[in-house]
Amino acid sequence: MNHPNWKRRLLLAMASAVFIGGTAGIAQAAEVTLLNVSYDPTRELYVDFNKAFAEYWKKKTGDTVNIRQSHGGSGRQARSVIDGLAADVVTLALAGDVDAIATNGKLLPQNWEERLPNNSAPYTSTIVFLVRKGNPKKIKDWGDLVRPGVSVVTPNPKTSGGARWNYLAGWAWAKRQPGGSDETAREYVRKLFKNVPVLDTGARGSTTTFVQRGIGDVAISWENEAWLALKELGPDKVEIVVPSISILAEPSVAVVDKVVLRRGTRTVAEEYLKYLYSPEGQEIAARNYYRPRNPEVAAKHQELFPKLELVTIKEFGGWAKAQKEHFGDGGVFDQITTQ
Amino acid sequence: MNNKRAVALAILLLPFSGAALAQQAPAEPADGNAELKQEIEAQKQRLAVLERKLELQQEAAATAAASAPRITANAQRFQIASSDNSNFIRFRGTLFADNRAYAGDSAPETADTFLLRSVRPTFEGTFAGIYDFKFTPDFAGGRASVVDAYAAARFKPGFVVTVGKFKPSVGLERLASEPDLRFMERGLPTFLVPNRDLGVQLSGDFAGGAFSYQVGYFNGVADGQSSDNLPSPDVESDTGGDYAARVFFQPFIDSDNFNLRGFGFGIGSTWQDLDGVATNPYLPSYRSQGQLNVFSYRGNTATGTTPNNATFADGERLRLAPQLYYYRGSFGFLGEYTQVKQDVSRNVGGTTLSDTLTHSAWQGQFSWFITGEEESFRGFTPQSTFRPGKEGTGAWELVARIQELDIDDDAFAGGANSFANPLTAISKESSYGIGVNWYPWNTVKLSLNYDVTRFDGGAATGDRADEQAIFSRFAINY
Repeated sequence: MNHPNWKRRLLLAMASAVFIGGTAGIAQAAEVTLLNVSYDPTRELYVDFNKAFAEYWKKKTGDTVNIRQSHGGSGRQARSVIDGLAADVVTLALAGDVDAIATNGKLLPQNWEERLPNNSAPYTSTIVFLVRKGNPKKIKDWGDLVRPGVSVVTPNPKTSGGARWNYLAGWAWAKRQPGGSDETAREYVRKLFKNVPVLDTGARGSTTTFVQRGIGDVAISWENEAWLALKELGPDKVEIVVPSISILAEPSVAVVDKVVLRRGTRTVAEEYLKYLYSPEGQEIAARNYYRPRNPEVAAKHQELFPKLELVTIKEFGGWAKAQKEHFGDGGVFDQITTQ
Repeated sequence: MNNKRAVALAILLLPFSGAALAQQAPAEPADGNAELKQEIEAQKQRLAVLERKLELQQEAAATAAASAPRITANAQRFQIASSDNSNFIRFRGTLFADNRAYAGDSAPETADTFLLRSVRPTFEGTFAGIYDFKFTPDFAGGRASVVDAYAAARFKPGFVVTVGKFKPSVGLERLASEPDLRFMERGLPTFLVPNRDLGVQLSGDFAGGAFSYQVGYFNGVADGQSSDNLPSPDVESDTGGDYAARVFFQPFIDSDNFNLRGFGFGIGSTWQDLDGVATNPYLPSYRSQGQLNVFSYRGNTATGTTPNNATFADGERLRLAPQLYYYRGSFGFLGEYTQVKQDVSRNVGGTTLSDTLTHSAWQGQFSWFITGEEESFRGFTPQSTFRPGKEGTGAWELVARIQELDIDDDAFAGGANSFANPLTAISKESSYGIGVNWYPWNTVKLSLNYDVTRFDGGAATGDRADEQAIFSRFAINY
C-alpha cells in the first residue's frame, strides 16, 4: 500500500517551503544592513554619505538601510574581506586592492572596474605634504624630503593604499629630475624611507603620528586627509605644501558579489555605489576634500583643489604590475627597506 | 684731575656698563640653551617615536588577538573557533560504564553484567554561523555504528533544514540528549517511537521558543529502532517513507510568572504505509525496563514447503505521542503517552490473517535536586563540585518514575494463529522506579536506579515473574 505520488507531493511541498522560507526574508525586508569596508581616511566622508544615502533610500523605497563602516589600511582591509569579512561593498584606496579581492578571494568578477563609470572610481584625490606651522624645515618639494635631518611620516606601503600612492608619487618625481631613471628613483625612495621613523599601518594612523604625537617634520598625506587636519587643528598649527608633481589617486569602489548574493543585498548595494556618482554624492565627496568627478561640483569647489601635474598609475604599467614590482614580496620596497 | 674725572666718569658709567654686561651676559648662555633646546627636542622626538612604535605594536597585537582563532580547552569543552565564533569545531563525547543486576528469578544469572552502554565521541561544528554538522559514532557493545551524522542549515530561527541521520522529532524523552536523561534508561513510551533515522526535517522556533515545530520525511524504522538496525544498516529497505511531525508549545516561556515558565506541552506523530514480508517483517520487539526482551511477534515456524508464517507489518503505522513537561526550581516533571497503531498480517496455512493492533505506553517522571540546582529539560549547572578534602558536595538528584506498556489484546487472539505468542510475549508491563544521581563534577555523573516491573502474560503459566533491576552507571559527559 504505497503512495509514491503522495510522497512526491510532500517532498515538493517541503522543497517549496525551503525555497519560500529562504527567500521570504529578501522579498519582505523592510530593513537592510550593509557593510562598507573602506580605507583609513574615509571615515568622515562615509558618515556623511551614509546618512544622505539612507534618507535617499528611505524616500525612494520606504526601506530602512543601516550602513556599517569598517576602516583600516586599504591592503589590510582587502585581506580581511578575502579572509571572510562580509563586506557588501568595498571602497578602497586603490584598484589593486579590489583586484586582490577578485583574484585571490574570487568574490567578484575580474571586470569589476567596468561596472561603474570612471573605472569605478567616483572621486579622486592626490598626495600633498603636511608641514608644521611656518614650515621650519622649508619643505617645498619631494627633493626636500630626503635631506638629512628631515623626519618624514608616511604609512607602510605593505598595508596602506595611501602609502603606495605616496611612494609612487615620489618615484615619479625622482624620475623626472635631470638624469632621472629607475635607478635614481629607487635611490630616492630608499633615502626617503630612511628618513621615516615610524611606519603606521594606515593613513589615519600616520596623521595621528604627525599631528597628535608631534612626530616628524612633514607628513606625506592624502590631500583630503591634509585638509581635514588643517580644518581640525587650524592654520596656526599645520600648513599644506603642494609639491611640483604628484599622482592621481583613484580610490575604487565595488560591490562584493558573493556577499550580496548570500545576503540578498545586491540591489541596495549597487544603488549605494551609484549614489556616489550623483550630484549629491559628489557634493558630499567634495565637502570632505575628495576631488569630485562631476565637473560642475568640481568647479564649485575649485579653491580646495589646486591644479598641479598629476601622473597616473598607467605610468607604472597599471596596478597589477606596480603592485608586483614595488610592493609584492621581494619587490623594490622590500629590497630598499632591508638594505 | 684727569684721573679724578676718569674715575668720576667710570663711576658715572658703571651702572650703564653693568647694564650692558647684564645684557651681554645672558647672550652666551642663550646659545647654550638653544643647543640644549635642540637636544631636548631631538630626545623628545626619539621618545615620541619610541612611544608611537610601542603604541603601534600594541595595536597590532590587539588586532591580531581579535582575529586570532580561539582555542577553548576546559572542563566543559574542547573547541577551536574563529574570532567571531561563527565558525567552530567542537569535540565532545560520552562514556557510560554500566552494571546491571537483577534480583529474584526475573532474569537469568547471565543477565547480570557489566557493559559499556555508550562510547560516543562527537565532532560537531558550525560554519558561517548558519551551517551545522554533527557526527557521532558509537563503539559500545563491541560494534561500531553511526548514531548521528547530519548537516543543518539555520536560515532563520523558524526555518531550519536538517538532513542526514538523526532523531525524528516524536517522543519527548527520546529528544532529550543522553547526558540530560534523569534515568539511566529511557522509559516505556520511548520503545514505541523511532530512535535514529535517515531523512530530512524542516523545523523552527517562533516567539522565542513559545512555539516550535518539526516536520520530516524519513526512511522509516520499527518502534524504538534506529536505521542501523535495518536489514541493510542505514539503507532504505522498503518503499514507504515515514512522515513525522511534532508541535510543542511553551506559552509562558517569557512570562514574569516563574511558576509557569517551565511548562511545555505538545504532540508528535509519524505515519508510514509499508509492506513488510514474512522474511522482513519490519516489526519491533519490546523490552522491559530492565532491558530484557519481553514481547515479540511470532516468527516463522513453518517447515518444508509451507509458507513462512511469521507476523509482518502490512499497511499503515500511525504513532501519536502527546507529551508535556513542567520544571520549577529544583523540581521537574516529564510526562508522555504514546500510542502506535500497526497493520499486521500473518500467513497461516495459506490464509492471510490481518488486523490493526494498537499498543500504548505512558510514563510520569519526577526529578528533584536536593542540592538546589534548577531542573530543566536541557541540562543544568551544578552549584558546587566535589573534590576530596575540599568543600562542595556536587549536585545530588532524586528521581522517581511510574509507567506502563500495554499490548493490544488482539495480538494474542486466535490461539496458535495469533500474531504474538502469549506464552512468551507479555501483554502488559507496569513499572515503577526510583534513583539517585550524583554529579560530583559537571561532566561526571554516577547513577543508581532501582526498577520493579510487573508483567501480564509472557509465561507458560500465569505471568512472567516480576523484574527487579538494579542498574548503576559511571558516566562521563564531555
